[in-house]
Amino acid sequence: MTVTTDSTLHERLMTLAERQIAAGEVFGAAAADPVNLPMIRHWTDAMGDANPVYTDPEAAAASAHGGIVAPPAMIQVWTMPGVNRKAGQTPTPVDDVLATLNEGGYTGVVATNCEQTYHRYIRPGERLVPATRFAGLAGPKRTALGEGYFVTWNVTWYSGDEAVAEMLFRVLKFRPRKKKDPAGEEGPQAGAGEGTPQAGAGERAPYPLRPAVNGDTAFFWEGVAQGELRIQRCGGCGELRHPPGPMCPSCRSTDRGYAVASGEGEVYSYVVHHNPPVPGRQTPFVVAVVQLPEGVRIVGNVVDCAPSEVGIGMRVRVTYRQMDDELTLPMWAPREA
Amino acid sequence: MAATVKYDEVEVGQEIPAADYPVRRINLVMYAGASGDFNQIHWNERFAKTVGLPDVIAHGMFTMAQAGRFVTDWAGDPGAVVDYGVRFSSMVVVPDDDEGTVITVSGVVEEKLEDKRVVVALTAKCADSRVLSKARALVQLS
Repeated sequence: MTVTTDSTLHERLMTLAERQIAAGEVFGAAAADPVNLPMIRHWTDAMGDANPVYTDPEAAAASAHGGIVAPPAMIQVWTMPGVNRKAGQTPTPVDDVLATLNEGGYTGVVATNCEQTYHRYIRPGERLVPATRFAGLAGPKRTALGEGYFVTWNVTWYSGDEAVAEMLFRVLKFRPRKKKDPAGEEGPQAGAGEGTPQAGAGERAPYPLRPAVNGDTAFFWEGVAQGELRIQRCGGCGELRHPPGPMCPSCRSTDRGYAVASGEGEVYSYVVHHNPPVPGRQTPFVVAVVQLPEGVRIVGNVVDCAPSEVGIGMRVRVTYRQMDDELTLPMWAPREA
Repeated sequence: MAATVKYDEVEVGQEIPAADYPVRRINLVMYAGASGDFNQIHWNERFAKTVGLPDVIAHGMFTMAQAGRFVTDWAGDPGAVVDYGVRFSSMVVVPDDDEGTVITVSGVVEEKLEDKRVVVALTAKCADSRVLSKARALVQLS
């Protein structure tokens, strides 16, 4: 159901993107006002930039510019539509794509790339006209912020017939992750990721990290999906081993099966991970080596308690956390005393 | 303003000392008004959080412009930025307190080109994260 909706949306987006690319350069409305000193002053005040060539006529006249010039990084400012003027604004080829993404739930936005070329510095009195070209749509991609599309466009600013500056701009439009409030974790650094995922939550963005599943490890992940903690057992000598591998280190047999562990364990060692940020995870989190009574050790997160409560020897029990629609990870929770 | 930097006196590998640019909420409000970018993620904490952001974040163009200004401050008159590109690799989260946060920009002369132009590679950091990556400015010197 969700998949159908998404693929329909995806097709609609891609068709729209192709049409917008084909439209080529689309001229927008000329700037409401010519380049002017008051706006430059507001901008340099906000930046704390005291360069006199932007605001001091005398110093600017004595400079190589021979008079006041606008800060190059202001180029986009001159043709910004503002809040209330937006309705009457000439549409750009980007608008429909962004609107379709918003409708599809990709409501989040962050800028990811900006490249500007200044053919020359511009001066008060010049009235700029923007022309926008839709350059591309890429996605859906998994990102630390959530699933999203990268939208890219180019703008050229003209003063009369002369192109004075160009810009490539790219944004990520993403589906915000559902906020969760895991018990016992306050998460002061909310970060861009989501908190410790809770089992059974409904629709969610794909978890950005995937385990490596291969011929040696598939039985383990199949077990996890069924709520079983499977430990590889040598078919020759019967020794248990973890992580799984192709050959028994004791008897060198490649014959292998598995046993289902009780799901209990004790923290053998652990770290509290604060940095660096991990996609899809909220820091701090605990990574522990858990000693199983069956004799092997296994690495996993300790959840359902504050990191400060974790200690060596702590009794834990396996718990299965659904990370997204496809992936479940085994984790460890404190065992009731 | 900084003294004029001359092309002949610049060497590849030369480092441009880091500068700190404090950012408080008021700077973002001022920048919103001055730039015409009134997106609520840059001044409304409630809105920013509903769209999946940790808090109010600085305008990408604000960060980009601060790093660009670092270059023009260094180059002095008549230095001019010709090309300037960045990737926004992390967000500049600006908390609602009196300290705000700080963007630290540093640079290194990466290349000397013809026509007295140089490429300056820029690094911008905030709260231990690199907020701009692949930031390069092509600067015309005298």
